[in-house]
Amino acid sequence: MSIAKHPAGERRLYMGNEAIARGALEAGVSVAAGYPGTPSSEIIETLAKAAKDADIYVEWSTNEKVAMEVAAAASFAGLRSLCIMKQNGVNVASDFLLHLAGSGTRGGMVLVPCDDPGALSSVNEGESRHFAKMVEVPLLEPADFQEAKDLTKWAFTLSEELRSLVFVRSVTRLSHASGTVVPGEIPAPRRDAKFTYNGFILDPMEGPVMSAPVTFKHGQQQEKLKRAEEIFEDSPFNTYAGPDNPELLVIATSACWLYAREALRMLNAEGKAGLLKLATTWPLPRKLVKKHLAAAGKVLVLEEVLPFTEENVKVLAQEAADEIGHKPILGKRDGHVPMTGELNPDLAADAVAKALGAQVPEVDPDYKTKAGQYAFFGAPNRDLTFCPGCPHRASFWSIHNTLAADGREGFVCGDIGCYSMAVLPSGFSTLKTLHSMGSGTGLASGFGKLGPFGLNQPVMSVCGDSTFFHAALPALVNAVHHQSDITMAVLDNSGTGMTGFQSHPGLPTDALGNEVPAIDIEAVCRSLGAEVRVTDPFDLEKTQQTLHELLETKKGVKVLILRQACALSPQRKGKKDFDMEVDAALCRGEDCGCNRLCTRIFRCPGLVWDATAGRARIDEVICAGCGVCASICPAGAIIKKPVSAQAA
Amino acid sequence: MLSKDPYNLIITGVGGQGNVLASRMLGNLMSAQGLSVTIGETFGASQRGGSVMSHLRISSEGAWSPQIPAGGADMVVALEPIEALRVLARYGNPKVKVLANSRSIYPVGVISGELAYPSLDDVKKWVAELSDRSWFIDATEAAMNLGSAIFGNVIMVGALAATKELPIHREAFGQAMEAAMGPEKAKKNLKAFDIGVEMVGG
Amino acid sequence: MQILGPTQLYEDVIAKGLCTGCGACVGLCPYFVTHRAKTSMLFPCDREQGRCFAFCPRVELDLDEVSRFVHGAPYSGEPLGTHRQVLLAQAKGLSGSFQAGGTVSALLCHALQTGAAGAAVVTGQKDGLPDPRVATTAEEVLSASGSKYGAAPVLATVNKAIASGTRDLAVAATPCQAAALAQMGMNPLGREDFMAPASLVIGLFCTWAIDARSLAALAAEHLSGKAATRMDLPPPPSEILVLETGGRRVEVPLSEVRKLVPAGCLCCPDMTAEFADVSVGVVEGEPGWNTLIVRTQKGADLVESAIAAGKLETREPEAEAAAHLSRAAAGKRRRAFARAREQGLLNTAEGRASLRVDEQVAEKILTEES
Repeated sequence: MSIAKHPAGERRLYMGNEAIARGALEAGVSVAAGYPGTPSSEIIETLAKAAKDADIYVEWSTNEKVAMEVAAAASFAGLRSLCIMKQNGVNVASDFLLHLAGSGTRGGMVLVPCDDPGALSSVNEGESRHFAKMVEVPLLEPADFQEAKDLTKWAFTLSEELRSLVFVRSVTRLSHASGTVVPGEIPAPRRDAKFTYNGFILDPMEGPVMSAPVTFKHGQQQEKLKRAEEIFEDSPFNTYAGPDNPELLVIATSACWLYAREALRMLNAEGKAGLLKLATTWPLPRKLVKKHLAAAGKVLVLEEVLPFTEENVKVLAQEAADEIGHKPILGKRDGHVPMTGELNPDLAADAVAKALGAQVPEVDPDYKTKAGQYAFFGAPNRDLTFCPGCPHRASFWSIHNTLAADGREGFVCGDIGCYSMAVLPSGFSTLKTLHSMGSGTGLASGFGKLGPFGLNQPVMSVCGDSTFFHAALPALVNAVHHQSDITMAVLDNSGTGMTGFQSHPGLPTDALGNEVPAIDIEAVCRSLGAEVRVTDPFDLEKTQQTLHELLETKKGVKVLILRQACALSPQRKGKKDFDMEVDAALCRGEDCGCNRLCTRIFRCPGLVWDATAGRARIDEVICAGCGVCASICPAGAIIKKPVSAQAA
Repeated sequence: MLSKDPYNLIITGVGGQGNVLASRMLGNLMSAQGLSVTIGETFGASQRGGSVMSHLRISSEGAWSPQIPAGGADMVVALEPIEALRVLARYGNPKVKVLANSRSIYPVGVISGELAYPSLDDVKKWVAELSDRSWFIDATEAAMNLGSAIFGNVIMVGALAATKELPIHREAFGQAMEAAMGPEKAKKNLKAFDIGVEMVGG
Repeated sequence: MQILGPTQLYEDVIAKGLCTGCGACVGLCPYFVTHRAKTSMLFPCDREQGRCFAFCPRVELDLDEVSRFVHGAPYSGEPLGTHRQVLLAQAKGLSGSFQAGGTVSALLCHALQTGAAGAAVVTGQKDGLPDPRVATTAEEVLSASGSKYGAAPVLATVNKAIASGTRDLAVAATPCQAAALAQMGMNPLGREDFMAPASLVIGLFCTWAIDARSLAALAAEHLSGKAATRMDLPPPPSEILVLETGGRRVEVPLSEVRKLVPAGCLCCPDMTAEFADVSVGVVEGEPGWNTLIVRTQKGADLVESAIAAGKLETREPEAEAAAHLSRAAAGKRRRAFARAREQGLLNTAEGRASLRVDEQVAEKILTEES
């Protein structure tokens, strides 16, 4: 049953992202667009599954900027629209974002950026909140699951009242956590889309939509923010619990509110400290905050990651100093709360305890010491690695070995996806740079022009199939046009693997399951004038031979498409091509001539080193049956038997 | 209905073991009984061989922090034995109970020979020392006997029911399974549930 | 003989640029590979001892031990190495694109025909790169005739042939390769398949061998992008390297070529492949003839049999020519010893040496007058 069918009033366990999706449906959203990225992806996935029932349009766009443009078009046509992305997606979309803030919106339009404090699934812990302030649009931050739904729904109303884009910012601990939610009603679908443009040039609802004349529109925008502040003063989403004149006022936003509440209970400090939950974090409802500041002894701000609200509150406190007097405001700037990483109830309790001069209750120290020791000795770390049967392991085996054998100190510029893990030993430490989506090929394009300055190392980049369309394509165009000497490997695993198989322009099915034209990466690269080869990464010999040939081709852009579906993809998951076996009589183990190449270097989780026997062995529960390890064994001791042949 | 409110349950395992599905299954069972459930988890990296954890806060009150405070676990369900140790180091306390699947999944560092994996006897001894009560069952083996390792987590849920720590009812489980996957598959899952109950001796 | 592992081999040889790409460490395990005649290590291997280290001619090469193994006596320090005879030789009844007298081809063909060897490892040329291969017929041997001035991973081909069960190999080997073959024959790690890796070693005179990629680049530069089909290094005083392709002939000054000589050749003391059964080179002022140095009993038997069969013709060299050869060989050795000593690679007291030899012999070589 899709989320659109859940009856109103019936309590449910919703993931934060599902609550956001349901909130959008209850607001009567017509169009939702986004680009996959943890922790945001389930919002679009949930809406895509509900699209038929709710009669809405949902797409995975090529990238975040396009997603925001697609959503904005619906708004311009008077519909309500939602746009989702992970934190750094806002960077990608920010050029359009600035102009959209200036032009204003028509139908309610909400952007949900999902930040990842602590970078649990990211290579940065960037903040999207500053964008709201920078481009001057309102920012809302839900603090629990019910609020994630309710605040999302209300954000559309606010957007229409202001004719402005509204941010609803989530974080991993909300998006990927689950809690009880009571759904509301979903309105009937809209059929009245129309884009009106013939009105007066300055008419926000009838004229053309643009950010010019700039100072006039900019002034309007600031008026909208003033109006938002007035609305926020009475918002039921900002709540206070605690004494009238608390010794300590804790201002908490987003999931930090849950941590703060638990911290106050842990410390039994509810009589001394008050907790102000701010859901409308930009612009600040100044009167409300001022009132609470005036009543408190001192103030502690709990938020993730940077001191955004803390600084805004500090500005406000300075402006209101004559009225409220001097209030010490504790937080990140004075080191009271960590400035990086995510918070949790323990860090919140530490901060509150320090502010109140209280003690955090602790587990028996002897127990802690013992438990720490057992974990240290008994629970070896689990480094991230490619899944059993992952084509990336095979691809990087070939790329690494080819570059190493080539002997000219060639290197690979990495990109964003599961394959980013190739910076680790599990990917043979093949990647030597790692930045944003598409930047691997952009960097390679630059490196490839350094030949005249003496750089004579072969230059490679990698990117996945989804990343190819997202942002690698312009970099590839650049490299071809400028005759940069690079070899780009496209790791085409038929889906957006890292985030859970969302569709992308290279696939024949879209987010809604419709048959759509797939854009052929091979044909695109050829049409650009690159020399293109395609191999199956599971064929190590052919792949390495092809790559050697490309690396010897001196001039211009070469593209090697390594095509093999992800081991977790619906077409491959749970299906073994081969039953694998190690012939212990042939296995060389630690002898000269092997020294555990498979378990020491190749390191597939499906292969284990049996120290007692001094031989490698297959773990049949974990092995995915891809057969690649049979090709790396120098002794031919790893034997693959086709599964179908065996069944017959 | 609850021996403690909120009751803090941690399900831990290795990416790819179905941690998220197991926590959802339990969460829905508790939620269907009118309890408020908050589940905190991380995924993304979860399928790539890392340690994963789901925090379940089961309460009659409402939402709790999706992260359990240090030393605050009431029950640890480990889908892989050494993951229990890792969790106890941060969330353990003398009163915690532990239910663990005894089937090991070696970290890549162990596969590569850089790190050592302890003997199961040691793990059992250490866990017993760090908990009020502990159960180790070979759920993976039992699941493979039933036809597939994927039944392992249902066996663990059955075993958890048999510890009587939480109100997990066989009928409710059966109904939830039937609603989710139809009568045929539900039957097999109930069988797995019962095996889990037996393994703990319920 | 001190035997360590791949980590030390990498540090001492590859990282220091001493590797000549002979291929002795290649094909034994998955870690050392050769590509375009250059040896690379793909991944670290933490074994404390390995055949890679044991076989390598550029680390811990104990000249006395190797000499005892091949010649039954410690390293003599004679300019041309331990030998029985120095002759001039030329092939009879063979046609090929020989550099000089075709002696190597004649001896290999004869060895194959008489069963003295089961197969021969020779170095042909492919895509402008030296291409070591296994030959089992005279035609295959002749197709690979002619000198190559790029380093070739001949021993990788030997290792591969051994791994696939080929025995009784005759190998045409440069001095470093001959030294490695001798170390392989000593079989220090006692591997059954290395009891007798080569049954016959025909040494090739060598002053240096350039990295194949650099040599191909040099050729391409002088031949407007084309690969050289033939190279020749006329004996002194002509200071040139001759490159030929499709009827075109270009002379490259040696000063330009010398810049490309790898460090591993500059500390090589052996010009005439002293650890081979026979050694063959080009002789100055005698076009169509080779210098042939007969060293071991096996070598002597082969030469005698080839002459008897009418496959080879020999005569005594002019005294002046023999003296000139000795001077050249002694000069290379002295320069190499001096360089190795300067770099701490000769008889290193603490740590690993590249070369080891009786210190008195070393002193004698170092103080010889040029």
